[in-house]
Amino acid sequence: MTANSIQSPAAEHPAPKGAGPPMASIGNLIRRPETGSFIGLVCVFVFFAIFGGESFLSVSGLASWLNIAAELGIIALPIGLLMIAGHLDLSIGSVIPASSMMVAIVSGHFGLPMPVGIACSLMLGVAVGFLNGYLIIKTDLPSFVVTLGTLFAVAGLTLGISVLVAGSTSVALKSDPISKMIFGDFINGKFEVILLWWIAAMLFVGYILGHSKYGNWILALGGDKVSARNAGIPTDKLNVALYMASGLCAAFVGMCQAILYNSAQVSAGQSFIFNSIIAVVIGGVILTGGYGSVIGIVLGTMTFAIVNQGIYYTGFDANWASLIIGVLLLAAVLLNNSFRAMAISHAAPRVKPKAAP
Amino acid sequence: MTAPLLQLNSVNKSFGPIDVLHDISIEVKAGEVLCLLGDNGAGKSTLIRLLSGVHKPTSGEMLMNGKPVSFENPREASDHGIATVHQFGGTFPLMSIGRSFFVGAEPTKRWGPFEVFDRKKANEIAVREMRQLGITRITDGDRLVGGLSGGERQALAIARAVHFGASVLILDEPTAALGVKEAAHVLRIVLQARKKGIAVIFITHQVTHALTVGDHFAVLIRGMKAADFRKGEKTREEVTDLMAGGEAMAGLEAEIESHLH
Amino acid sequence: MKSIPRVLKMAAVAAMLAASATATLAAGPKIFVIGGKADDPFWSRVKKGADDAALVVKAAGGTVTWLGPQNYDNLGPDAAKLIRTALSQKPDAIVGPDWVPEAMDAAFKEVVAAGVPLIIYNSGGMEAAKRLGAQNYVGSEEYVAGMGGGEYFSKAGAKNVLCVNTQPGSTNQESRCKGLADGMAKGGGKSTQLPLPSSSFGNPTAVAQAVKAALLKDKTVDGLITISAGDANSAATGISQAGLVKQVKLGTFDIDPTNLQRIKDGTQLFCIDQQPYLQGYLAVSMLNGYVQYGLKVPTAPILTGPGIVDASNVEATVAGAAAGAR
Repeated sequence: MTANSIQSPAAEHPAPKGAGPPMASIGNLIRRPETGSFIGLVCVFVFFAIFGGESFLSVSGLASWLNIAAELGIIALPIGLLMIAGHLDLSIGSVIPASSMMVAIVSGHFGLPMPVGIACSLMLGVAVGFLNGYLIIKTDLPSFVVTLGTLFAVAGLTLGISVLVAGSTSVALKSDPISKMIFGDFINGKFEVILLWWIAAMLFVGYILGHSKYGNWILALGGDKVSARNAGIPTDKLNVALYMASGLCAAFVGMCQAILYNSAQVSAGQSFIFNSIIAVVIGGVILTGGYGSVIGIVLGTMTFAIVNQGIYYTGFDANWASLIIGVLLLAAVLLNNSFRAMAISHAAPRVKPKAAP
Repeated sequence: MTAPLLQLNSVNKSFGPIDVLHDISIEVKAGEVLCLLGDNGAGKSTLIRLLSGVHKPTSGEMLMNGKPVSFENPREASDHGIATVHQFGGTFPLMSIGRSFFVGAEPTKRWGPFEVFDRKKANEIAVREMRQLGITRITDGDRLVGGLSGGERQALAIARAVHFGASVLILDEPTAALGVKEAAHVLRIVLQARKKGIAVIFITHQVTHALTVGDHFAVLIRGMKAADFRKGEKTREEVTDLMAGGEAMAGLEAEIESHLH
Repeated sequence: MKSIPRVLKMAAVAAMLAASATATLAAGPKIFVIGGKADDPFWSRVKKGADDAALVVKAAGGTVTWLGPQNYDNLGPDAAKLIRTALSQKPDAIVGPDWVPEAMDAAFKEVVAAGVPLIIYNSGGMEAAKRLGAQNYVGSEEYVAGMGGGEYFSKAGAKNVLCVNTQPGSTNQESRCKGLADGMAKGGGKSTQLPLPSSSFGNPTAVAQAVKAALLKDKTVDGLITISAGDANSAATGISQAGLVKQVKLGTFDIDPTNLQRIKDGTQLFCIDQQPYLQGYLAVSMLNGYVQYGLKVPTAPILTGPGIVDASNVEATVAGAAAGAR
C-alpha cells in the first residue's frame, strides 16, 4: 500500500465552494418519495375531476372526501408512526367500535353526562394500546400476531358486553350541544368538525416525527431495532407509547362518529384496518419500517379518500368501484417505490479527479 | 510499559454444553491495533460479543485500564468507551447521514416552547467528521445512508464512534465486503483512529489487510488462541498457513516426505 | 419519445369532451338512488327494478345513479354520507331508505331543505316519510309484515320463535322482530330476538353457527325467522347441523330461489315477500314523473308488501325469481 493510491485527508481537499447550491436541494426535493405521493394525489384528483365533473369540484364534493380523509387521517398518523417503527396495529378495527359503543352505552343507554362517556371511551383506547405495547415488549411476538389477538378479543368483548348490557348490537346516543359542537357537528353544514382535529393532529405528529429527537428514535427503531437499543434509545417505552397513541386516536374517531351520527354499531371499524395501512403505504411509508414522513401520510390519506369517494361522482357502475380503487392504489405505490429508489441511489455532484502528476 | 487499555485474562465462554472459547488471553493498548485473525468458525463472533457486552464470560476476567469490568448489556460497554462497528447494519440505511450519526444523542435547539431536533448542526458535524476521515464525496448531511458505498458506511460508523469518545474501537470484518480501493480507504481510516490514541481491535480473516495495519496479532483456531505475535515476526505465508491449521499440514507433509526418502 | 406527451394530451382532451358531452346531453332528470350492496340478493332485485325504470329516464336524456355502501358494518353513517354525496351533485330527485333514523335523518332533512324531491323507500314507513317531508313511502310496512309472520307461525303451531337480526339498529329490522313478537303473543306464544353484529349479514358461516348454538342452548325454540333470504339459507344449514329440522320451523323475510325450493320440498314454512323489484321500480318511476311532468301519486304510502309465499302459491313465484325479479 503506497501513500499515492490513497486519498489524503480533508485538509488538502477543502469542500468545493458552493457545494450545496439551490439546484442540489431542488434535486433532493424531487427525489423524495413524498414527491411521488404528491404526484399520485394530483393524478388521482385530475382523474376524478375529469370523470366526476363539476359536482366533484364543488365545495360539497370537496367536503365529501375531506371528511373521509379526516376520520381516516387521525388514525393513519399513529398507524404510520408504528409502521415506521416496524410495527402493525390491527386492533384499531375493534377499538373504534368499542369506543363508539362505550360512549353510546355510558351516556346514551345509562344516561350519564357526556364528559364521563367521552372519558371512558378515550381511556378504553389508551388501555387497549397499553396492553398491545406491553404484550409486544414482553412476549417479543410479531406485532401482527399480538394485535390480531387483541382485535378479536376486543371485538368479542364489545359484542358480548353490548348485548348483555344494552340488549342490542346497536345503541342510540343523544349528545348535549357542547359535545356535539366540539366533536360531532358540521362546519358550514358541510365539513365535519373532526377535520380541525385532524389538522391539529397532523401538526403535532409532524413536529414529533420530523423535528424532535423522538422522531429520530422512531426511525431508528424501525431501521434497526438492535442498534437502536444499543445506541441508548428506550425502545420498550417508545413502543408502548406508540401503541397507546394509536389506541387513543382510534378511540377518538370512534367516539366522534358516535356523537356525529347519534348511534354506535359493534362492527363499525373493520374497514379502517386495511384502509389506514393502504393510506400510509401510498404515502411512502415502507411496510417493513425505517422510513416515512407525516407529509407523506397526509398525502396518502387524501389520495385514498379521493379515490374512495370520487367514484360516486363518476356515475360508473358501483360494481367497478373496488376494481378501480385497487388499480389506482397499486399504481400509486409503484410510483412511490421508484421515487424512493431514486432517493437512495442519487449520486452527489461528482468531483472531477485530479490529473495524475 | 503502559497498562493495556483492554485486557482479557483466561476467558472462557460456553453455551450450555458447547465450549466456544477456551482460555483466551489478549490485550490491547491505547494507540495500538490488535488484529484478531481466524477462519470462519474460529470463535471470532463470540469474542466480539463478549467484548461489546452482549454476553458475559463463563469464566475469566475482563479488565479496562487494570480494573475488572463486567457488562450487563451493550449499552454499558459503550458507556465505558467500547464502540463496536459491525460488518453490516448499525447505520440505518433509510435515515439521513446526519440523523444516523446522532441516533440516541440527537442535538436539539429551542424553538419557542418546543425542543426541536437541530438538523443543520447534526448534518454539519456528521459531514465534518466524515471529511476528517477522508470521505470528501459527501457534502450534504441530508443524503440517505443507503446511498453510501460500503466503505463510506464503515467510515460513517467509525467517525461516529470516534466522535462520541470511544477509547476502544472493535471492527468486525470491516473490509470483507469491500473492493480493493474501498478496503484501502478503510484501512487508512483505521490508522487514523490509531493515531488519535484509540485502541483498535480489528477482526478479519484477510491476512493481507491485517498485516497492513496491525501492530499485534492473535490467531484464533477453534476457540483457542493458536498464535500471538507482533508485527514483523511472521511472514504472510506463515500466517495464512497458521490460520488454516497449515502448520499441522506442513508438519504432516514433512513427515511423509522423510518416510519416502 | 415526443409522441407520448402528444398522445396524453389527446387523451385528456377526448376525456374532457366526453365528460362535457354527457353533461350537455343530460337534459332529463338526474335521479340518485341510495340502496344496499348491489351484489346482495335482495338489493339486486331492488336495483333491477330501479334499472328497468331507469330505461325511461335515460330515454328522456336523464340518469339514474345507484349509491350503495361497501359493507354493512357502519350502516347508518355510511348511508348518511352517501345521501350527502348525492345531494352535492345537484340532483333532481333522491330515493333513499331510512335505515337508521338517528344517523340518517339529518342528511334527509338537508335534501328536503335544498328543495330536492325525496321518496323514502324500503325502510322507515309512512311515519318516516311524513317526519322528513318526503313525498311518499314505497315499501312494506315491516311491523305489519312481522305481525303477519307471527300469526302464521302461531297458526302452524309454533310457540317459541327466534328472530335472527343481523342488522340490529336498522328500523325496518327492529320493527319486523317487534311485529313478530306481537303476532306470536296474539297466538299465545312468544318470540325473542337474536341480534348478531351487522358484519355477519350475508356471512353464511357466522349465521349458521350462531343459529346452531342458539338452538342447542334453548331446546324450547320451535320456530325461527331471519331478516333476509341469504340468512335463511345459512340458518337452514345451522338447523340441520343441530339436527333439529323436524322441530324447528323456518320462515324468512324476503325470498330467493333457494328458499322457494325449500318451501317446495317442505323443509321451509314460508317467506314474507315485500316485492323489492317494485320498490326500486315504483320509486324511480314516480320521481321521474314528478320531475318531468309534475305528476304526484295521491295514495300514500305505496305498499309493496307484505305477502306470504308458502306451499300454496310457491309455483307462481318461482318463475319470477328465476328472472331475477323476485
